[in-house]
Amino acid sequence: MKILNSLKTGMLRSMKLWKGILITWFCSFLLVSIVAIPMKSALNAGFGNSMITEKLSKGINIEVFADLGDSLKNLISYFSGGLFMILLVGFLLNCFLSGGLFSSLKGISGTFSSSKFFIASVKNFRSFFFISLLISLIILSLAIIIVVFPVIIASHSESSPDGSGFRTAILVTSFFVPVLALVLLAADYGRAWQVAHDKNNCFKAIGFGFVQTFRTFFSSYPLMIILLLAQVMFGWLVLEILPGFRPVNEAGIIFLFLLSQMLFFIKILLKTWRYGSVTKMMELDIAEKINNTQA
Amino acid sequence: MKIYLISLFTFLIYAGSASSQIINKKQLSVRQTGYRIDAKLDPVTKTISANMEAFWVNMSADVVPDIQLHLYMNAFRNSRTTMNVESGGSSDKKQSETGWINIKSFSDRDGNDMIANMNFISPDDGNDNDHTVLKVKLSEPAVPGDTVFIKVVFETKLPLITRRTGYSDDFFFVAQWFPKFGVYEPAGMRYATKGGWNCHQFHANSEFYSNHSLYNVTITLPVEYVVGTGGVLMNETSPDSTGRNKTLTYRAEDIVDFAWTAWPGYKVFTDQWENVKISLLLPNDRIEQVGRQFTAVKYALEYFAKNVGPYPWPYLTIVDPPSKGARSGGMEYTTLFTSSSSYMMPEFAHYPEMVTIHEFGHAYFMGILASNEFEEPWMDEGINSFWEERIVDHYYGENSGLINHPFLKVSDEALARLSYVHSGARQDVTNKEYSWNYPHGTYGMMSYDKTATVLYTLMGIIGEETTNEVFRAYYKKWAFKYPSGKDFIDIVNEVVTKRWGDKFGPDLNWFFDQTLYGTGICDYKVANILNSRIDTTGVEISGAHTIKKDPKTNEIRFKSEVQLERAGEVMLPVEVLVHFKNGKEVMESWDGKSRIKDFVYTGENEIEWVKIDPDFKITMDVNYVNNSMTLYPDRIPVRRLTNKLISFMQFFMNFFFL
Ligand SMILES: [Zn+2]
Repeated sequence: MKILNSLKTGMLRSMKLWKGILITWFCSFLLVSIVAIPMKSALNAGFGNSMITEKLSKGINIEVFADLGDSLKNLISYFSGGLFMILLVGFLLNCFLSGGLFSSLKGISGTFSSSKFFIASVKNFRSFFFISLLISLIILSLAIIIVVFPVIIASHSESSPDGSGFRTAILVTSFFVPVLALVLLAADYGRAWQVAHDKNNCFKAIGFGFVQTFRTFFSSYPLMIILLLAQVMFGWLVLEILPGFRPVNEAGIIFLFLLSQMLFFIKILLKTWRYGSVTKMMELDIAEKINNTQA
Repeated sequence: MKIYLISLFTFLIYAGSASSQIINKKQLSVRQTGYRIDAKLDPVTKTISANMEAFWVNMSADVVPDIQLHLYMNAFRNSRTTMNVESGGSSDKKQSETGWINIKSFSDRDGNDMIANMNFISPDDGNDNDHTVLKVKLSEPAVPGDTVFIKVVFETKLPLITRRTGYSDDFFFVAQWFPKFGVYEPAGMRYATKGGWNCHQFHANSEFYSNHSLYNVTITLPVEYVVGTGGVLMNETSPDSTGRNKTLTYRAEDIVDFAWTAWPGYKVFTDQWENVKISLLLPNDRIEQVGRQFTAVKYALEYFAKNVGPYPWPYLTIVDPPSKGARSGGMEYTTLFTSSSSYMMPEFAHYPEMVTIHEFGHAYFMGILASNEFEEPWMDEGINSFWEERIVDHYYGENSGLINHPFLKVSDEALARLSYVHSGARQDVTNKEYSWNYPHGTYGMMSYDKTATVLYTLMGIIGEETTNEVFRAYYKKWAFKYPSGKDFIDIVNEVVTKRWGDKFGPDLNWFFDQTLYGTGICDYKVANILNSRIDTTGVEISGAHTIKKDPKTNEIRFKSEVQLERAGEVMLPVEVLVHFKNGKEVMESWDGKSRIKDFVYTGENEIEWVKIDPDFKITMDVNYVNNSMTLYPDRIPVRRLTNKLISFMQFFMNFFFL
């Protein structure tokens, strides 16, 4: 019951927060455009007045790009640099915006106001930054210990049968994903706790996150699994739709743009739903605790 | 004396069997050499102990004083061999990882010990530390028609798998493992001006050259081993008295090399294509790929039979080595070849199929048409890559032969072309080199990729059907012989002039001289499109932005012009497609010789776009981007790409951040 309640409330609050999601969408769009738009100009300049782009009608054609020669080399280095920049700036941006999102998802936050959203973003930034950093490092270390090492060992042993590396990868990944869900829960609880408290204290927040995760494991964990499954299924849907869609005219291109951005908006909504549901779960648990002490 | 009698007896029987037919209905080659080998594999010490009886027939008009044999395994003996020096001077390996071949006894037909007549020679580089070529002085020179018999007891220690031969744990791939005759080339054969042995050392970048031979081989090894060879299994004994070993007897006819593999983990599958029985050995983990392998090899059998000539053996063995033996993958021994794959190879990646088709193709280019791989590697690797690419793209998709995924499609031909046209060393060397002389790691790019690209370009010029005719004629004339590059080009000239007269000149030497044997690049480009209004007398009206009709004729007249350039050194005939704004199109021919070429039109129409080589026949062209020009470039593909790039980066960020 608690799970369904949390999911429902989480969704309702996320939908109400559509303006916050729109802000998040806009910031991400702006950020990637900084990289993508110059690439577009560079590609157009590289192809010039050539008709070779006809060969792109059936998808990526390596000859078309390879024959760009030096322009391609520049494009690749620009793109890898851009991707690195996106990761760096995007990380900071995410720490900033998720502060506003979490804060607006609180039960008592009332109607959305963008000034309140940004004030919360600023106020929580320092703590959110460290929470994100620490949790990301934990995830990275776990990935190396649980996934990377065993796979390397399995695939490099002389006498092991064929495909043991692959099989090990599947095995350890299926072990890693449930662990990942736990760490994400801790991160979400930590952030939900932080926005409910005035003082920036990331360690206390993470501590609370983990304690809360394990204390309410039987309700929190299924909740997180449901939310993650929804995201994975949506991701799969996007992969089915976008890459194969190759419009050939102006209207098609505009449609592709609108469709892809709408899909990404939904993706942010789904993540916000996760934040909201975990927030609600925390509130329910605290209310329960208060009830219990009163009784 | 007793030994002598027994030897003579076996030699006589062997000589008798040399022309007997067991596998094929008729003898395919002259069988200038033949081998009977009794080998025993010791899986613990990784050695093979063997007795070999072999013959070589002096089919020349020369009196030949000696014989020369390859002892390839000695290339892995130490770090000072030519092979190891050329590979970058690898440091000495552990003793257990080296490979060598030791001759324990060497006698002639009469049982005379010839050990004293043996000495190692290094005809290619004079490296005294290289013992891969053995010269043996005959007790009596071989006069024309003589058959030289030898009897050799040898021990081969297999290296830790390297250069596609050796062991890895309990896996064995045994190739280049026995003393093997070089090829005696009398004057007039290939490029020989006087008779002599063509017996090169084992180099880092080199393959082989041998006579078509007869092989009778017995292999004794532990019972649990599953064996694949390039021969037909004639007999298998039940385990010996110890219960540990079995002996398998194989025979092969008219192949240039005999290799075999043994590993307890192989699973064996069989299939049939026409009269060819196909066996496939692969690890348990790849059973789901059995169908893929059979389909690929049947495609190749079908395509070659249709366009080149028949596959003349009634059997074929495919080996897909396990990952521990992966370094034996992708090698050809005519009736046996190794493919290359891995567990869970995705369906969209036709890599195993490509390797299988390539290695099978060597049954033709090297196996049947036994060119000298040492001296003209393009004749086997290049010609064979050309056919591999044609077959892969024909059966798996012209644009997606190699990779056929919704996100990415790559044709086999495109990959080879890119490897050549974008190589920084594309102009460093011609294909007139011996395989080990290609500088700066250009061996693969030149002998495989550039050659295949050159042949595609040739096909673009003379047409697909003429190209097939060329290869049919090549097969017909040179099957089970030893063609040189010149012989191949002679066939091209013969067939092309027969089919096309002097359309391409008296011969196509101009083509091969520039492409295969040249270092120039081919690059045709559109420099400009010009449309201008002219008056009735043909004089340009300049500065007029708004086009008015001619008051006298009431029509607008234009002078339209495309300006083309030859930016590379290579001159090839190209087609030029000119498209006018009213939809009219003109296909022009340009001999491609001058540095610049203009096509000028006057009339009511303006040129909208122009394409040089619109069907991409001249695959040697190093830049397709500049081959066309339009007044109205289509920006949609780039916008689509940018759009998807934006989405990719957005989802990428969202995925990685909490
Ligand atoms: Zn090859």
